[in-house]
Order: sequence, then structure tokens, then C-alpha cells
Amino acid sequence: ENSPAPLPERAIYGFALFLGSWFGFMLYLIWAYVPETWLFSLGLTYWPQKYWAVALPAYLLVAIGIGYILLFGINMMSTAPLNSTHTITDNYAKKQQQKKFQEEAIPALRDIPISEVNRMFFIPEK
Amino acid sequence: RMEERRYRSVSGAPVALRRRQHSASCRELAVRCPRLQLRSLSAVSSAVWLAAYGLFVLSENSMVLSAAIFITLLGLIVYLHFVKIDQESLLVIGSLGIQVTSSYASGKESTTFIEMGQVKDVVINEAIHMQKVIYYLCILLQDPGDPQGVSEVVPLFQSSKPRLDCLIEVYKSCQEILEQRKTGPQSS
Repeated sequence: ENSPAPLPERAIYGFALFLGSWFGFMLYLIWAYVPETWLFSLGLTYWPQKYWAVALPAYLLVAIGIGYILLFGINMMSTAPLNSTHTITDNYAKKQQQKKFQEEAIPALRDIPISEVNRMFFIPEK
Repeated sequence: RMEERRYRSVSGAPVALRRRQHSASCRELAVRCPRLQLRSLSAVSSAVWLAAYGLFVLSENSMVLSAAIFITLLGLIVYLHFVKIDQESLLVIGSLGIQVTSSYASGKESTTFIEMGQVKDVVINEAIHMQKVIYYLCILLQDPGDPQGVSEVVPLFQSSKPRLDCLIEVYKSCQEILEQRKTGPQSS
């Protein structure tokens, strides 16, 4: 139902976006390069200052650069510190229900407590 | 009875693990970090003094030089007393508790004692630390309300950060003593 296959509606959306973005780009170029007097003579007087034609791309690039560093920093901040219980367990593991053990069936999936895991890994069975 | 073996820390520095068995239910495990290297000390002080000399040449103020000497000295003292850990040790006394000691390079020792009633288990946990996944030993403290719950995690050997092989040795030693409290006080 939600396949990524091409559909007629998607083709139309794509083409509309394509025309829209070309139109936007041409408008931006006209605003940035055509002298103000020519635009005024045509009667188009209500434009933003041409300062923004340079300022907005500059702001955008700096924001993208800061975004890389910010994302890295947010990741580091949300990593649980070494002394928090979130490295051991969480709400889902605490509230899990123990299913009854059935003979000859694969045991149900569950979160094994860390003490048991450690014993299994590090204490060799004789 | 005392044993000493060499291992590596997470960053590759050599650390030494010393094991002492005081009695059947008392063991002391100490991890010793590498000492302060003379070359890193000289490098840092040369860098600071070179920068101070550069500032002196620019500003013609001789106070910069004395300030640099003072800062280097003060920084070294603060580093040795508050930052550089020489040895971290774990003293496990079955039925009494666990004592964690950190000795700094200046001789200062800071200890924490956790009584055995609060200790749920000593485990090796893995966690993400500074873009690496490291194994570290930690003491799980019992949650008084919930017998299965963990109220707090106390990480051990935070400055020396030994690697997994050293941690497995420490873990096995601790577990031998912690198992004795399950079998009860009737066993010697």
C-alpha cells in the first residue's frame, strides 16, 4: 500500500515542484541582479532590501555548519553517563512479564538481567 | 599472598593489577596507573613558557613571565592533588562491605565504603563513553523497595580504565567473595 513505486500523482507533484523551484530561482536571480531603478520603472516597488539576497544564503550556510556541531553535541549530551541506571535497564525491562516455561518450546524473548549475563560470559562453566 | 600482573588501559597505557588475599573472605585488588611522564610535563611547561615569552615580547611587560611561572607551578600542584590518580583499589570484605580507594599523585587518598547490605552485585557493564564503547566494572546498589531493582550504579576504576581482560580477573575475584554471602554464614 505504501510502496515507493512511481504513480501518476507523484509525477505531477514532482513536475509542479520542479517548475516551482525554477520559478523561485529565477525570481531570486532577478531580485538580486536587476537594478532597483529598472524594477521601479516596471512598477514593482515592494521588494525586500537587496542586502538579504546575500545575507540569507550566508546565514543558511553558517546555520548548516553550526547544525553539524550542534547535532554532535546533542548526541553527546543525551548519552547516558556511566553511573546511570539507564545503562542497565529501562521501563520496558522493569515491567516485563515472565512467561511460563514450556517443555520443548523455544523460551520466550525477555530482557536478561545483567548479573545473569555476566555470569554466563565471564565465569567459565566446569 | 600477593600477585601482580600487567594489563593495558582503554587508551593503551600500561596498568598493573595487584591482587592480595588477606583471608578467605577478604580480598584487595589495586589497579596502578602509569606515572606522570617527564616528557609530557616538560612539553606542557615549555609550551606555556614559550607562549608567555611571546606575550612578553609583544607587550614588553615582565609581569607576564612571572605570571606564567606562577601559573605553571599552581597548575602542576592542582593537577597532582586533584586530577592525577596514581592507584585505584577495591577492598572486598565478605559480610562487611566494599571499600573503594583512589590515591592521587600528591598522596591524597579518597575512600568510599559501601556496606554489603546495599550491594546487589558487581558486574562488568558496557556503555558508550566519548565516542567509544568501553567495558567498565561497576557496583550495583540494591533498591530497598524492590528486590530485583537497581537503585544506583557506582562505576569503578574510572581513571585507570583497564581493558576487559583485567576486568574479568577483578570480576571473578569479587564474585568468589560475593557468592559466599548467598551460601550463608555457616560456610567458613
